[in-house]
This record gives sequence, structure tokens and C-alpha cells, in this order.
Amino acid sequence: MTTASLVFVVDDDPSVRSSLKFLLSTVGLQAEAFESADSFLCRKPADIPSCLVLDVRLPGLSGLDFQRELATRNVCIPIVFITGHGDIPTSVRAMKAGAVEFLTKPFRDQELLDAVRLALDRDRARRKHDKELADLRQRFDSLTAREQEVVTMVVAGMLNKQIAAELGTAESTVKVQRSRAMEKMQAASLAELIKMIEKVKPSSKAAS
Amino acid sequence: MERQINAAYRINCIAVSGQPQYGKKEPCYPKTNLDCGIRIPPNMRSTIGIPFREVKMSEPTTLQNDVSLKDSVPEGGASLESILCTEELLRRPSRPPDYEKENRALVRLVSALADSPSTIFHTLAETIEDITQCDSAGLSLLTRDGKTPHVDGQRFYWPAICGMWGPHVGGGTPRNFGPCGDVLDHNRTLLFTHFERRYPYLMPVSPAAEECLLVPFYVDGKAVGTIWGIMHSNRRKFDAEDDRVMASLGKFASSAYQAWMHIEELKIEVADREKAEAEVRQLASGLEARIRRLVEANVVGIVMWNLEGAITGANEAFLHMVQYDQDDIASGRVRWKDLTPAEWRNRDEQAIAEIKGSSIFRPFEKEYLRKDGTRVPVLLGGALFESGGNDGVAFVLDLTEQRRAQKDLQQAQQSLYTTQVELARVSRLTTMGELAASIAHEVNQPLTAVTNNASACLRLLTDRNLEPEVLRRALEEIVADGTRASAVIARIRRFIKKAPAETIELDVNEVIDSVLALAGHELHKNEVLVECQLAKTLPLVRADRIQLQQVLLNLVMNSIEAMTGATNQTRVLSVESRINESGDVLVEVRDSGTGLGSEADRLFTPFFTTKANGMGMGLPISRSLIESHGGRLWATTDLLHGAVFSFTLPAAGESPS
Repeated sequence: MTTASLVFVVDDDPSVRSSLKFLLSTVGLQAEAFESADSFLCRKPADIPSCLVLDVRLPGLSGLDFQRELATRNVCIPIVFITGHGDIPTSVRAMKAGAVEFLTKPFRDQELLDAVRLALDRDRARRKHDKELADLRQRFDSLTAREQEVVTMVVAGMLNKQIAAELGTAESTVKVQRSRAMEKMQAASLAELIKMIEKVKPSSKAAS
Repeated sequence: MERQINAAYRINCIAVSGQPQYGKKEPCYPKTNLDCGIRIPPNMRSTIGIPFREVKMSEPTTLQNDVSLKDSVPEGGASLESILCTEELLRRPSRPPDYEKENRALVRLVSALADSPSTIFHTLAETIEDITQCDSAGLSLLTRDGKTPHVDGQRFYWPAICGMWGPHVGGGTPRNFGPCGDVLDHNRTLLFTHFERRYPYLMPVSPAAEECLLVPFYVDGKAVGTIWGIMHSNRRKFDAEDDRVMASLGKFASSAYQAWMHIEELKIEVADREKAEAEVRQLASGLEARIRRLVEANVVGIVMWNLEGAITGANEAFLHMVQYDQDDIASGRVRWKDLTPAEWRNRDEQAIAEIKGSSIFRPFEKEYLRKDGTRVPVLLGGALFESGGNDGVAFVLDLTEQRRAQKDLQQAQQSLYTTQVELARVSRLTTMGELAASIAHEVNQPLTAVTNNASACLRLLTDRNLEPEVLRRALEEIVADGTRASAVIARIRRFIKKAPAETIELDVNEVIDSVLALAGHELHKNEVLVECQLAKTLPLVRADRIQLQQVLLNLVMNSIEAMTGATNQTRVLSVESRINESGDVLVEVRDSGTGLGSEADRLFTPFFTTKANGMGMGLPISRSLIESHGGRLWATTDLLHGAVFSFTLPAAGESPS
């Protein structure tokens, strides 16, 4: 596998845990195994792309309860469910709650590896998206209060003249502030700026 | 008995004290026997005994004191011999017998005895006076208390006197202070002359008796009184002919006495009966009112009927039940025989037979046809008004509500059965479902590990990257997990075998009955006919009742399901129990389905099923249960019928393998 990633395995059966780690290692995937949901929660979240291979039947918190628990904690980790005795209602619930895959033991090795790969890809994409958003927010935050005001009005479609009238300043002043903001936001065009501001302030349209 | 006698005395007392004076010319006594002595005006009563009271007043002894005197003759009394002249009767010249007159007198007496026995004593006295031509004639009767005749009485009472002593009627003397007592003591006819010389008691009685002829008379050989004639002057003397006639009249007196006594008893009886009748009438009028209340309250149907089938009367409650009205009853159109549906006629006949024997018929349930032809269930009980009579009365209770309640109850029970069967079914499935899930999980864990490890090795092998040490560790784990999986299977098998072991000795037929009852609703719902052929004498088996029930219920439910697949044939479930050639108890559950075909071999394979929602565990589990009891369970296809599931269980006492 290319970039660094981590697979978490939660299963109460030590044989299953170790065999899964062994299987994942054959395709270069690093895995960490836990015997219960609680022990996994004690570990600090990974900062590299990761996914969770989770047994439905667990001591203490069940797999489905654990999935719900993670959602309420805002932990966005893709989950691949594995179960010894799969039934349709359980799998439907799991998939509706965002699971990547629901596999019945014993599963074919390729099925699991494909599911894990898909889960890692999703996590990688989410992380990239999150990082871009964080960058944009950082740039937006570097604007002065007046620059943020001007940018918001520009995105809303107002002309420089209108903005100047609104703010009670000269049109030339607005022009200077606007070009400085474009520079700070690293936006090459007005269209790009609009996309950026929409990502940072999803409600900015409504404000206009 | 004693009480009745006392009552008789009491009544007699009234009767006698109320007797009027018998005067020769004044026969003012009542004509009818029964009236005599009961309705005597007070003024008449006051006249009775006045002459005698006069006697008392001039006498040193009184009636009240006579008890103290009865044992001794008063002083100054003459000897009996000195006042007797009985022997003279034979010596005196006797007049010739006047048979014609005598016959006439006797005929008169006999007819009087027949016509008016209550006055027979008076007639007798008249006859004596007439035949003997004496001056006074009468009777003296022994009484207990001065009034009531009694054989062992201590007073004489004069119920009738004719002639000159007529006014003395109703009086009397103590037993031992008059000529009568001496006559009874001598037990023969005696002729007295001036007996007042011996009996000062009679001295004031006027006119004095010159001669007195006294004749005792008897009842059942005991003297009960005398008849007598008195000459107050010497104008005529009694002779032998008088003796003969008086003897004859004495015999008649005996009859008259008995007749009179009989009449008195009858009077008492009649009085008693009248009283009883009055009481019955009073009671009846009270009862009638109560019965009418019962009839008119209409809390139950009341119907009056006769044996011919007619209804002679009915209350509104009954009419409401059968929807007829009083006009229908009055017209005679409504007959209970017609109200009875044909299939109940035999039961009616039974009731009629019963009522003819015992005047009542015990309540029974039947149906009546209403006017509109619908039926009403009733409870009916009744009685004849008179034993052997033709008319009777019956009560009728409407059972409609009760029947409805019964039906509701039955439905409730039915649905309870349904629920039970469903519950048994669901719990069977749930248990097996959970068991299957548990097995799957337990076995799948090591299986997953084996698969993962093996797959990983294959991958490394493909990449030519499999180091011997890695392979060895993987193989070790595979072996360990394989062993673990088989251990899980073994544990489950042990669990199934061990599970319940509450074996008792029980009757397989009884278990079959209970299972058929449990499946009753399913059988009924699916229109399955059940044929049972259970051996009457079956040895007990040692088994767990619940497990045996489960196996049987499973086989029965399988059969039902097998038969409901086929629609156009008669569904017959036959259950048979018997002893087989090995001495084991053999049970066969046979259905009329399509048989087993080629699937017979796989039936007992776990998870094999021919049903849409079957688990495929019923038969394997059943077989394992039977085998754990030392028996066998197998399936065959019958040529005529569908599938036959048979199992054996060793008879209790033999050691199960």
C-alpha cells in the first residue's frame, strides 16, 4: 500500500483478531486490534487515514450501539462490519447508519480487503476535504473585519460603488480592500473566490 | 292417642251439657246428629241440671265432695237385701207377652238408631216407659267426669229420662251411691223397692220410687250402664214379662251405646276435619296468593298443561319466550307437543314416563320452537297437580343468555388453545433459531480465523514472500482453531443430549391425548380428521414428558403442514400406539399427504427443510430426543397414505441403552 494508513480491528475473539492482522499485513496494511469497543475508545484518534473492522456481537457495547456512539461523538471513521450470524434487519440498520460493508463470517479474504481499501479511500478523501476547508477557514480568518465585510458583499453580487455607498467609504477604498482580500484568499478569479467563501461560510448566501 | 281422647272428652262435655231436656211432649232437641250439642243457646244450657242442683242443695254431700264419699256408704243407709225384691218377679203373676207391641217398639228403635242415633237414648227411654207401662224410665251411663261415658268411670250420668222423673235428665249419682252401682256389682237385673232408704242421696228426688227395675248392659263384656223403669205408686208392679223385655232392651241399649259413642267419635272426627279443612283453605288462599305472585312476577316462565299435549295456561314470561300471546293459548292452538322440535320429542316422552311414575319430572334442558320457527333453549321442570292426574304445571327458564355465555367461553377457550399452539410453535422456532445463531457464532469464529490465516498464507505464497516461520505460526493457529471448532460442535452435542433429564414413568397414550388436545385447534382449522388406534394395555415408558410432547407435537404439526399442501383430498391424521415384537412401545404418526419421495433420506439432516419458513431442525432434534430415551425414530412412506413417522421407546423396567 502506498501512503501510511491504519486499520483498527475490534473483535472479542483473539484468533479472529490475530488472523485479521495477519491477513491485512499481507497487503501491507498496518492493523491495531482491540477486544472491546471501550478499549478502542481509550486510544487517541489516528491522524492518518484509518478504518474500523467491527464485530457485531461484542461484549458490553454491541457493534451497532458502538456505531451510534461514535456518530454522537462526531468520530467519522468508516466501519466494515463482520458478523458470525448475519441477519437482514441488522445489516440494513448498519448500512443505513453509514457502514461501508457488512460481511458474514467466514468471509472471503478479497471481500474483506476490498471493503477495507474502500473504507480507507473514503477516510482519505474526507481527511483531504477537511484539510482544504481548514486552510480556507484559516485564510478567511486572516482577513481584517472590513475585508471580510467587503468579500461577503462581493460574493453576494454587489458592485464596488454599491459596497462603498453601503459602507460609507470611497469606491477606491473598496477596490483596494477587495484586491487585498483576493490576494490573501489566494483566489485567482472572482468565481474561485465565490466557491471558497461558500465552503467557509455556507450561510453567506442566505445573508444576502 | 292420649291427647285425642282428651279432646274427645272435651267435645263430649260440650255436647252432653248442651243436651236439651227431654220432655215427653217437647222434643226440642236438634234433628241432625252433627248439630247436636254444638249450638245450644245459653239459656237452654242454664236449665240443665236444675232439678239435680236442688237435690244437691238439700243433700249433705255435694257433687264436688263426692270424691271423699265414694268409698263408703253414708250412715243410716239400709242394707241392700232390705231394699231388693228381685225374686218376687218370678212369683208375681205375669202378663202375657205382647210380641206385636214389642216388635213394633224394636222396629222403632232400630229405625231410630239408623235415622237419629244422637237421640237414641231418649227413644229407648220412651220405649221402656211404653212397654213396661212404668211411671219413669231412663238410662244411667258410667262416666269419668260426670259427662263423658267411660267404662271405668266413677259417676253415673242420666242422658235420657222419660215420665215423671223427666225433669231430672242430665243429673246423676256417684258410682257407689245409687242402685246402678249395686246392679253393676251384682252383674244382673235387680228390682228395688224404695231404694232411697239405702241411698239417702236419692231421698230428695221426687216423686219417690216405689219400685225400680234396673238392667245392666255391656260393651265387650264390661258393664257400661243400666236401663231402668220406675213405678212411683202401687198401681202396678213389675213382673217377669217386664224382666224379659227389659233384658232384651238392655241388649239394644248396648248397641245404642256403641252407636252413640261411635257418633260422638265421628262428631270429633268431623270437627277435627272441618278444622283441618278450614286451616287448609286458609293456607291455600295464602299459598294461592303467593303462587299467583310467582306466576305474575314473570321471573320464570310458568305453563299449565295436560298429558294430551295441550297448554291450558301460561304466564307472560313463557309467552314472551315462545312469542305467542294469551289469545293463542285461549284458542287452544298452542300445544306443547307442537312447540317441541322433533329431535326433542323422545326426551319429552322420557319426562312423561317419569311424571306418570312419580308425579314430577326432574328439570332437563331442551328447546322450544318460537312462533317464527326459531328455537329457544330452555330448562324445564314440572309436576302433576295430582298423582295419577292428567293436568300439571311446569316452570320454564330461558337459557339463551346462558348459552351465549357458554359459547363465549368456548370461543375464549378455543382462542386460548390457538394461542397455546402458536406459543408452542413460536417458542419452538425461537429456541431453535437462537440455538442456530449460537452454533453459527461459536463455530464461525474459529472458522473465520482459519480462513483468514489460510488466505493470508496463500497470498504470501503467491508473492513468494512466505517465510517458513510465518507459515509455521499460521498453520499452528489454523490447527488450534480447527480443534476449537470441533470442540464447539462437541459441546453443543453434549448440551443437546444432556439438556433435560426429568424422566418419569408415563403412559404414552396419555401424552398422545394431551398433544392432540394441544393441536386440536390446528387440526380443526385445517380440517384434519384424527383417527386414534391406541393399544388399551400399554406398558409405561420412562421419559421426559415435555420432550415426548415436543416430539409428538412436532410430528403432528409436520403432518398437518404436509397435508395442507394438498387441497383436494381427505386429510386424515392417524396416530397408533402398540407394543412391537421387541416389547417396546411403538408410536406411528401417519398422514394422508403426498409422502416423502426421494427426500426420505435427507429428512434427518440438520437444516434440511421442504418448508418455506422451516428451520430444518425439527426432525433431527426429535430423533436426538428419542434416541436419548433409548428409542429410535424413523420415517417411511406408506403406499396408501402419505408419510409415516414411527418411534419406539423401551418399556419402563428395561434398561435404556
